[in-house]
Amino acid sequence: MEFVSPEGFRLDGRRPMEMRQIRAEIGAVANADGSAVFEMGNTKVIAAVYGPREVQNRSQQINDQALVRCEYSMANFSTGDRMRKPKGDRRSTEISMVIRQTMEACIMTNLMPRSQIDIFVQVLQADGGTRSACINAATLALADAGIPMRDLVTSCSAGYLNSTPLLDLNYVEDSAGGPDVTVGILPKLDKVTLLQMDARLPIDMFENVMQLAIEGCKAVANYIREVLQENTKQLECRRGT
Amino acid sequence: MKSQTKTSTSSTNSPSSFVDQSVVSSYIDSSVLYVPGDVVLDLSSMANQTIKLGGGLHQFFGYIGGHRMGAGGKVQGVESPITLSSPISISFLYNCDAISVTKAGKLRFVKPNKYWVESSQKRYVPCVGDNVLGIVVDSKADNFLVDIKGPALAFLPVLSFEGGTRRNIPKFEVGTLIYVRVVKANTGVNPELSCTDATGKVAEYGPLKDGFTFESSTGLARMLLSSPTCPVLEGLGKKLSFEIAVGLNGRVWVNAEAPSTVILISNAIMNSESLSGVQQKIMVEKLLQRVQ
Repeated sequence: MEFVSPEGFRLDGRRPMEMRQIRAEIGAVANADGSAVFEMGNTKVIAAVYGPREVQNRSQQINDQALVRCEYSMANFSTGDRMRKPKGDRRSTEISMVIRQTMEACIMTNLMPRSQIDIFVQVLQADGGTRSACINAATLALADAGIPMRDLVTSCSAGYLNSTPLLDLNYVEDSAGGPDVTVGILPKLDKVTLLQMDARLPIDMFENVMQLAIEGCKAVANYIREVLQENTKQLECRRGT
Repeated sequence: MKSQTKTSTSSTNSPSSFVDQSVVSSYIDSSVLYVPGDVVLDLSSMANQTIKLGGGLHQFFGYIGGHRMGAGGKVQGVESPITLSSPISISFLYNCDAISVTKAGKLRFVKPNKYWVESSQKRYVPCVGDNVLGIVVDSKADNFLVDIKGPALAFLPVLSFEGGTRRNIPKFEVGTLIYVRVVKANTGVNPELSCTDATGKVAEYGPLKDGFTFESSTGLARMLLSSPTCPVLEGLGKKLSFEIAVGLNGRVWVNAEAPSTVILISNAIMNSESLSGVQQKIMVEKLLQRVQ
């Protein structure tokens, strides 16, 4: 199948190195300590953060750092075919773990020993790149909750189809069976916290594709910065300070 | 925001030049709002100075990071200072100490050397000296367990009352609302509360009876406690008589003669969260007109 037309356009009309439109909103869940909605094109996820709070299960308590838990689920209506079992399957368990590990790397867990931080992410609309979108949403929600973080984590995916590196794959490109590299970075610290790839990719192309994904992450990071600053500014101006 | 962690650092610069250093000023100006990961200070260029860091700031050792530089900005902390001719974003590796921001907010400074990041959040981080409203969750032989919206339940020793002895231990039912002071807030241990002021007097601390409690963000609580008095409370106070207790942990207790007054006041306060000073005044005036 042709994923990049001879004119250099992708199926959804993007250039190979173009991201989908991103949009973020802070404070979507009233009861949560921090929450955010993050959209990447047609992918839409919602994240809610609770904590730091008392550890619910005493046996899980860690004495020198906070316990971070993450639950990823997909809404029944998020995909084309209605989902039967939105959580608890192998895929969502794996993604929950991936998100947990990525967020744990940026949260300063040592500052909040013997407490627990819960991150809930739900996919409302799935169109490829849900993993990245969830990580971005979780970052915003954590920042909204005021949980101390070393840096913002941002994530973006990139693929390689028709011998072209493509940024931010959508569902059709994702299910083409080509390589899909998901990268999560700490933009200020310039460190990688997540790197995943399915399928195979020539080693000489890998670096290009990863670099492309990192550029995507940085673009997301810039946007997230703006959203956070805008949010703080609104709080400030309401207070009249 | 009273508990600051002490950081001994070294500096040749005076504290007031904190955000004015060449690296920092080209990187961000003082009106900028910070997000996690931003570096506000490079300590490698400072000598013999003590600064106090409050919430939202953290000192990183062996920090490896990127700096964005303005034209002609100098980077200190690397072997040879680099001067850039055009504003570009560079990433480099250097091994030094840096103060960086860990939550989104505004950098605040109080002379001579206190720095913190101010933000509004729903959950409370206990700080020594804060007056908070807590709810008794359980009572043990030595302590009452009190929920102060923090990461862990707080302990209120049964003897921390004015003239407290083993003989006269106060009786608090589960669910009692108390106005208390945080006396210990160390990480890893539950925070400790007290129902007396520093001199051992009861002051205004103790259980709050009747009235109505609601929760707000820590930002709103700080606004209500700010001086000069915020427009909502000032406007309401001119026409109505009521009692109010505001905890820095984002709990507000209101009491008045008539329940309708309590409702009016609490609604006005809750609505004021998203309003500016002038809007607050207008809102209060409208509300009061409707009542009279």
